[in-house]
Amino acid sequence: MTTIKMFEKPIGMRDTFPATYEKMEAVQQTGRGFLRARGFEFVKTPTLEYYDTVGKASAIYDASLFKLVDSQGNTLVLRPDMTTPITRVATSKLLKEKIPLRLAYFANVFRAQQLEGGRPAEFDQMGIEIIGDQTVYADAEVIITAINLVQNYGIQSFKVTIGHAGILNCILNDYTEDDQQANKLRSLLVERNYVGFEEAVISFDLPKTKSDALLQFINEATNIESIEQIEKYVSKNDALLYMRQLAEIIHQADLSKYVSFDFTLSSHMNYYTGMLFELFAEGSGFPLGNGGRYDGLLHHFGSDVGATGFGIRVDRLLEILPTRPTTDKTVAVIFESTQYIQALQLANNLRNEGKLVTLQAKSGLVNVEAFTQVFDEVLYVSQEDQE
Amino acid sequence: MTELTVAMPKGRIFEEAYKMLIEAGYNLPEEVEMSRKLIIEIPEEQIRFILAKPMDVPVYVEHGVADIGIAGKDVLLELQRNVHELLDLKISQCYIASAGLPNTKMNDIAPRIATKYPNIAMNYYKEMGEQVEIIELNGSIELAPMIGLADRIVDIVSTGRTLKENGLVEYERITDVSSRLIANPVSYRMKSARIQEIVSRLKKIVN
Repeated sequence: MTTIKMFEKPIGMRDTFPATYEKMEAVQQTGRGFLRARGFEFVKTPTLEYYDTVGKASAIYDASLFKLVDSQGNTLVLRPDMTTPITRVATSKLLKEKIPLRLAYFANVFRAQQLEGGRPAEFDQMGIEIIGDQTVYADAEVIITAINLVQNYGIQSFKVTIGHAGILNCILNDYTEDDQQANKLRSLLVERNYVGFEEAVISFDLPKTKSDALLQFINEATNIESIEQIEKYVSKNDALLYMRQLAEIIHQADLSKYVSFDFTLSSHMNYYTGMLFELFAEGSGFPLGNGGRYDGLLHHFGSDVGATGFGIRVDRLLEILPTRPTTDKTVAVIFESTQYIQALQLANNLRNEGKLVTLQAKSGLVNVEAFTQVFDEVLYVSQEDQE
Repeated sequence: MTELTVAMPKGRIFEEAYKMLIEAGYNLPEEVEMSRKLIIEIPEEQIRFILAKPMDVPVYVEHGVADIGIAGKDVLLELQRNVHELLDLKISQCYIASAGLPNTKMNDIAPRIATKYPNIAMNYYKEMGEQVEIIELNGSIELAPMIGLADRIVDIVSTGRTLKENGLVEYERITDVSSRLIANPVSYRMKSARIQEIVSRLKKIVN
């Protein structure tokens, strides 16, 4: 362990410099306007939560949680996501006032990093939750909102991949001999290890019809254009009907071209019992966002009204979006000590015109030329001007 | 056609995988000049190869600077990167095993394992219900039991000759290893047509 140098930050923590800050602000404002127009109300929750409530219930791996201890000895976590705190506040309070709830957030979340750089340990997330509506229309609204939001940012090249935990479970249970086999296959799918899936299916020594079905499934199911293609693997059930309705609604919204289905999509958390999806866009090597129905999480907090939502990684959105030069005009007003009142007057007038005005005493500058270079306009208020 | 960036491990695996791509019908020059170049452009096929250390291939793919790549299963198991494992190319087949001096038992109190795969070794002994101490080495792992640094080594075995020549015996076979085609999760979706095509063309060669 080397000693920490004065300039160092904890692993994964980043500073935000002015240019990035402005870009992030613009992203937030656009997103906020867009989501409010769709009836979502913004909320904020505390940065710290109890480990026993939010920490344990969160879908984020335990090893990624920042933990600390309060003065009573309770373990606290820096919130690793926003869905869990919002579920806490909705089930304990907000659902009593309104149902269904449409909530939105823009907040920083924390995930400890063990690996090398390139991944932030603190980043902003923006997202929505619809709580207390179990219809397919709530899920459709979540997906359509996600697509429209991405479009609203001017992103052209993106894709949404939708799966269904219920259908996957159905297939895994039907074509294996016991739960252990089904769980093994599910965990391989969480890792996206398709080779391992095939190897495991062969090693189970299943009846040929079952193993053939699973091998064909893994070849086909990752990229499905229409629901009909999956129907041969599952007996008619509610989940299938649900997905067909969902596909139909997305089609009616004329957004089918952005959507494909992947019935191998799986989460390591068993809270996700229904539809789940991932959002990808060109320009980042990592998924832009994800979402899904999490009735199980709500149940964990003692409510059975159901919930669905999505979150977008703002850091990856910033990576994808081009940086636009600002249209703001910057002005430097450089004054000599005797002329302060005149300079202040001038600066205020310019500010009222909407310009960004820096008021700077000439005597405070070491190199006037270097300082004034970055401004669009430079005004000097000196003794001679007044005479 | 969208351009595809392929991360390849330098050396023998590159040559074998490259041959497979030619067999699969990709229009690649028979001979590639492998001198010190790190990037090879194939404009006819809109493919760009980047040549990396085998251990680094999953890193390039995970970060999305390469869309797909070819990596050994040993590297994938060791690094646990977030990539899709699409196809077993069945080239450079070998396995990971534990080995040590003949007729020895592991130390009861703190068995020591020398390896260049600390995660694989740790996970294996954990599964076996055994707590071990890992000593990470970068090469010539066989030395460790010979001079008393460790009770066992965990290493790649292809023919077993190196073990034999150094008077070591294999104890447990841990896992099979071969080269895999891997993909970045975003590329897998955004360039799905191109990637699926490579998978199905290579699949025909493999089987």
